[in-house]
Amino acid sequence: MNAIHNCHRCVSRRDCIKTLSLSALGATMLGPTIHAMGKAPSQTAPGDHIDAAMLRPRPDVRVAATFFELPRPYWLGWPGTTYDLDKHQKDYRALLAKSSKQLGIQTDLTEKPINDDAGLSAWIKKLQTEKPHGVLVMLQHIKTWPWAEKIAKDTGIPVVVFAPVGTAFTGHIGRASRVPGVYVVSTLDWSAVDGALRMVRAKRLFEETRMLWIRKNESNETVLDRFGTKVRAIPRDTFNLAFNKQTATAEVRDVASDMRRHARKVVEPKPEDTINSARCFVTAKRLLAEHKANALSMDCLGMVSAKLVPTPPCFAWTILQDHGITAGCEADLWGAMSLMLSSYLLDRPGFINDPVPETAHNTLIVAHCSSGTKLAGFGKPAAPYILRDHSESALGVSTQVLWPVNEPVTLMRFSNANELIIDTGKVVVNVDTPPAGGCRTSVELKMDNIEDCRDVLGFHQVVTLGNHRRALEGFCELYGIKHVHSPEHSTFADRANT
Amino acid sequence: MKLSALLLCLPVTVLAVEFGSPGFPSSRMDADGRLVEDWGAVGVRLAGDGPFRVAAVKLDQLIPAARAVAQRGPVMMTLTAYRAPIWPSGVDVLTVRVEETQGQPAAVAVGLDLPAKTRIGNRTVTLNKRTVLTFPAPQPDDASWRAWGSCDDATSLPRWGKPSVPCDPAFRNIRAGMGGGPIRYQFSVPNKSAAKVVLGFCESHWAKAGARPLLCRVEGAPPQTVDPVAKWGQHKPGVLTFDARDENADGKLDISVRAAPGAADRNPILNAIWIFPATTTLKLEDVIAGKLNSAATRYVDVGGPNDQSLFPTDKVEYKIRLPARGVRELTFYVACTGNNAPSPTTSAWTPETLYRAALDVWRGQLTKR
Repeated sequence: MNAIHNCHRCVSRRDCIKTLSLSALGATMLGPTIHAMGKAPSQTAPGDHIDAAMLRPRPDVRVAATFFELPRPYWLGWPGTTYDLDKHQKDYRALLAKSSKQLGIQTDLTEKPINDDAGLSAWIKKLQTEKPHGVLVMLQHIKTWPWAEKIAKDTGIPVVVFAPVGTAFTGHIGRASRVPGVYVVSTLDWSAVDGALRMVRAKRLFEETRMLWIRKNESNETVLDRFGTKVRAIPRDTFNLAFNKQTATAEVRDVASDMRRHARKVVEPKPEDTINSARCFVTAKRLLAEHKANALSMDCLGMVSAKLVPTPPCFAWTILQDHGITAGCEADLWGAMSLMLSSYLLDRPGFINDPVPETAHNTLIVAHCSSGTKLAGFGKPAAPYILRDHSESALGVSTQVLWPVNEPVTLMRFSNANELIIDTGKVVVNVDTPPAGGCRTSVELKMDNIEDCRDVLGFHQVVTLGNHRRALEGFCELYGIKHVHSPEHSTFADRANT
Repeated sequence: MKLSALLLCLPVTVLAVEFGSPGFPSSRMDADGRLVEDWGAVGVRLAGDGPFRVAAVKLDQLIPAARAVAQRGPVMMTLTAYRAPIWPSGVDVLTVRVEETQGQPAAVAVGLDLPAKTRIGNRTVTLNKRTVLTFPAPQPDDASWRAWGSCDDATSLPRWGKPSVPCDPAFRNIRAGMGGGPIRYQFSVPNKSAAKVVLGFCESHWAKAGARPLLCRVEGAPPQTVDPVAKWGQHKPGVLTFDARDENADGKLDISVRAAPGAADRNPILNAIWIFPATTTLKLEDVIAGKLNSAATRYVDVGGPNDQSLFPTDKVEYKIRLPARGVRELTFYVACTGNNAPSPTTSAWTPETLYRAALDVWRGQLTKR
């Protein structure tokens, strides 16, 4: 992938970049707001512009798929004699082809179903040789479950088992769901299978990602367990030195102009502040491109504290996240990985936050300054935002994104490579500053299934619009990550004993 | 002359080779093929005499590595070490390749030379509580194993327990399966014999019931799940008894404690083990008080002074049968400066993914604009 746009055959430069951005994200529509800030300004010299969306990795994703059935004709036993095997398989083939195309997945579906041990052995041998990134088996008889487990055991490749209703009882699903590397989808709802394919794609995106870890004075590169994500540490000064060199180019001025124009309101930031914020955005893109990186997490607060930059990068991070590029705060590595999970699996930006239990209403306030605006998805309309300064420093630009009230949300946070905290809730209200202090985007949530808001686990959790609990749990199960939830019952109820 | 013999005739031109990955301190392979780290050195032993030829190589023409080759009778041994740049600061990967070169089946014993005071676990070697080496697979059964001991990768935590009532000193010490690994012990017993096994617990971290329920298995007895706080309370010693039997007739009694399904705290703990003759009638309060220690055929202060590993100190050995021209490879993960070797309990690293990590990082160095 060449992150530097240098296409001379486009009808128009803007149209070309817009198309590339959309295809990179699998998006189908573009909202009319700050997503357009990744576009090339007309005055920019050819080859000088970096399309933010093109910084997202584009891995090959190979999935091997088959049907498991028993020799025909069927007589008794689920799914039953009346189950039309040919019709179901034809339907599922079509659905799989459609999903694969939409997700950019290369699916190798066997021409015929596997219906005996010999066929199974031959397929396992093929899988061992070709090593696809994932396997999808679609069950067409209740007695084929042991084959699915054997695939997982013999190949070590993550296996998605699609068990259309009529091919499983509780015991089958419970047993197979506990086999490492197996994710069972027992449903008639194809969107769940589509979701499982997204999991395989997300894992490949993680594997092909290089994250810039901008902090301290270190220069090295390491790789994260389980995800394969590369973490390139570069000195913190790299950013502010590059920022100092970044002039107010036409692109910078365009971004700054869009930033103000699309805001519902501009409170503190002056034009010079938005120019600086746009310089941050362009600086970040250039650093990412220079390092062939696809994500970043930076010690932004330390830089502000040391007065190395005239603005925190909050709004630049907002734009990057709306383009599917993870931009994490405070060099929090696992916070950034949690943002990346939202981007890669759920196709929407997340909102890393500082959590505040609001004990009067028993809610949780999540607050930070770099929420994305494409909350409902990269291809969906953006949420409104207000331009503010960074409240802790009164510097530059940060964002108050107004989250949709009464909508469900999911909170997720990797504790490490082996554990993900998952909780859900609902937006109650957007909290203004003032009267509140703290960060500019501040959203009050009513948590689901957590008796006491003081029990919510984690810090710098990532909030994402929508209830994605099952998808996240499925991803964890497919890739051997433990998923945990905040305590349902109050741990403060009997505090006299603790 | 065979190629292997020819290689050995060549002069040794390199005494030591350093290797690493960008931004991190290097490791070193010395002239004896030993990997020298900040915690000590690990060498690979194969019976016979003969020098190592040590050289710097690049794997896939990209990854800096050290290679040592030695011929021991009919067997050629090749050691290859490179740095896998795993987060946060890497691990050295040591591959031991043995190859039969004279067309006759051969039996060899490949052993590791480790510093004194290392503790050998099921799949790890620890030194001063640092995991310095991880095995690719559990060691195979061996006559050199001790008559009893732990065979897991759990951690000893002396003085962790704070019993609030007078009791046996063993309740002050524990071993803990950090990272969610099980605690396992094995005791040599007469084949098919029966015994009464008592396990002792004292939970001194959690005050509330439900946090750390434990699933206890003793060979030949039904498994028991216990929540020590619910059953006895925080800081209160308690015991479980099992009517055990060498059910599989291998002359060994297996004991394990692991987190019960659904446990919030996945790190199991164990304070004490007593093994009594099967016919013994026990007063449990006397067991807890330590009054029956001398009546036990085995008494283990788990994590305390009389505890031990099943595996002899500083000895890791693999007995390998090679067919004519046969090859076998073993891979070890060795802690480099400032880091632990990855835990086999929690890590997903494999030799393949470690190698890919190194390839990705070195390729990234080349492609940086």
